[in-house]
Amino acid sequence: MDDIYLILATLTFLGGFILAAASLRSESPRVKGLNIPVAVAGLIFQSLFLQGRGELHGRCPITNGAEVLVFVSWSIVIMYLALGKAFRLSLLGVFSMPMVFLFQLVAIIYLHFFDPGPRPPETLDPWLELHAAMSLLAYGAYGLAGVAGVMYFVQDRQLKSHHPGRLFYSMPPIRYLADALVRLLAIGTLLLTVGIVAAFFMKEAPDASHIISGAVWLAYVSLLVVHAIKRMPPKRLSISSITAFAFALLTLSAL
Amino acid sequence: MNHKTSPIEIRERLAIAEKSVPHHLSEICALDGITEAVVLSTCNRVEIYGSSDNPQEALDRLVDYLIDHFAVAPGEVEFYRHESEAAAHHLFEVASGLDSMVLGETEIFGQVKKAYATAQETGTTARRMNKLFQQSFTVGKLVRTSTRIQQGSTSVGSAAVDLAEKIFGQLDGCRVMIIGAGEMSRTTAQSLLSRGAKSIIVSNRSFDKAEELAAELKGSAVRFDDWESCLDEVDIIVSSTSAPHAVVKHEMISRVMERRRGHSLFLIDIAVPRDIEDEVNDIDNVYLYNIDQLQQIASEGKTRREKQIAVCREVIDEFLRGKGIEALAGLPQSGGGSGSERIQPEPSSRPLTNP
Repeated sequence: MDDIYLILATLTFLGGFILAAASLRSESPRVKGLNIPVAVAGLIFQSLFLQGRGELHGRCPITNGAEVLVFVSWSIVIMYLALGKAFRLSLLGVFSMPMVFLFQLVAIIYLHFFDPGPRPPETLDPWLELHAAMSLLAYGAYGLAGVAGVMYFVQDRQLKSHHPGRLFYSMPPIRYLADALVRLLAIGTLLLTVGIVAAFFMKEAPDASHIISGAVWLAYVSLLVVHAIKRMPPKRLSISSITAFAFALLTLSAL
Repeated sequence: MNHKTSPIEIRERLAIAEKSVPHHLSEICALDGITEAVVLSTCNRVEIYGSSDNPQEALDRLVDYLIDHFAVAPGEVEFYRHESEAAAHHLFEVASGLDSMVLGETEIFGQVKKAYATAQETGTTARRMNKLFQQSFTVGKLVRTSTRIQQGSTSVGSAAVDLAEKIFGQLDGCRVMIIGAGEMSRTTAQSLLSRGAKSIIVSNRSFDKAEELAAELKGSAVRFDDWESCLDEVDIIVSSTSAPHAVVKHEMISRVMERRRGHSLFLIDIAVPRDIEDEVNDIDNVYLYNIDQLQQIASEGKTRREKQIAVCREVIDEFLRGKGIEALAGLPQSGGGSGSERIQPEPSSRPLTNP
């Protein structure tokens, strides 16, 4: 049953992206304002899937790579819904949907072939749960920062080319994208800091996953510090945020 | 009549001054058979919307009224007249900006609203006009939100402003520098100011001219030898000098960008020969547009809007199909006419009188 929710969530994001892309290309953009309803519908299906998996394991459902990917996708959608409007970046949702779709597709395939089944904890440690949840929420913010970086790139390219296409007029100003990028990196780092602090209170001794979280935290803190001191140009910051998120994803796959 | 049917010489003669609209409204409503009226008089059109149980006669009387009051010579003006659904369709197109000189412009929407408000205050509207105009506001909004009629720029000035907004977002905090106090610079700067640009610095070889333009734009003037020192302070540079060589160089902007700590710079070069070296556009965070590129964007914008006309008309038709009965409830049926026609006043033996 849980798999059905995941499939429904994945199809919702795919459908939402196709609709948004068609609307952007269309002469008559009748399909407008669907980003939020699509994100909410997808989030509900994701939540139902994660709830089912949580009940299966009796703890936070991040016991395998597929669940981690779905949790990160869920975090990305949560972050978009919480911050997209405040940052005046409704299109961020459209650009996030392909990434969320891809993550969840990988998760569906993985669970179909390699689902290891229930993995109940020996003892339930709330600090461990807090560490894991905060870290993955941070990954959501970093993922969205990566998407904002891609959007900055696209808009910068259109401005430089002198031939703005139809997408140009629907995209947000590059200053808003650059500002959102920095804020998302800061929010992600704040969440990851909470996650890392929680790790110090855990009953278990730190393992590889904690060291990896620390490495990701260090990478992002360095990025923010360099930006604060030297004011990195937005283009370089975009590249760095995309690269940093790719690194964060690689560290996840190593878990 | 409007900008499509009459040249400016005619339009300015028929234009009804804002303060005399209530007087004309009262006079029109005093005409036999006309029970309600709204006068829409802008620089591009003079239109009278009226309600009558006998539209053909009412329209004839309205034309006579215009001839009598505005010294129109026989055959001089091509009036258009619409009845019933065609009249509603025309008003909906006007409110949507489809009948405007700049396709899709938004000013007309406010002008239609004001014309209706004036008629309401004068007491020349009742059920039919109220319903018709309120529906025209709904359609105007619907067309603008559900089509791309407002998308893209249609002039060099609006292209520059639209690009600036795509770089900086709201222009509230943006500072602008003008190098060369020409007419195009003035127009572009005014467009930027109208969208909220904060301050203007003007520099020109003739300092008197710089001061003159700065005073007009409520900005400040700097001597031509000193403009380079202001580069750090501005976000947008509009250059239009008559210099035969590049005035703004790559090296100069590279140095400035190192000090700007990641803030973008938008350069608009409307001079021919060009004032700004092309390579400036290669610098990160710097966006350079010359006059050809802006004209190209404006031309593409116009084409894009023209393509949207059919989509907009579909929205209006759909609205009339869905809400047609409501929109036209109480409006008289066409007296067997086609609904729309263009007429020229018959050569008349009556003497023409000035208003």
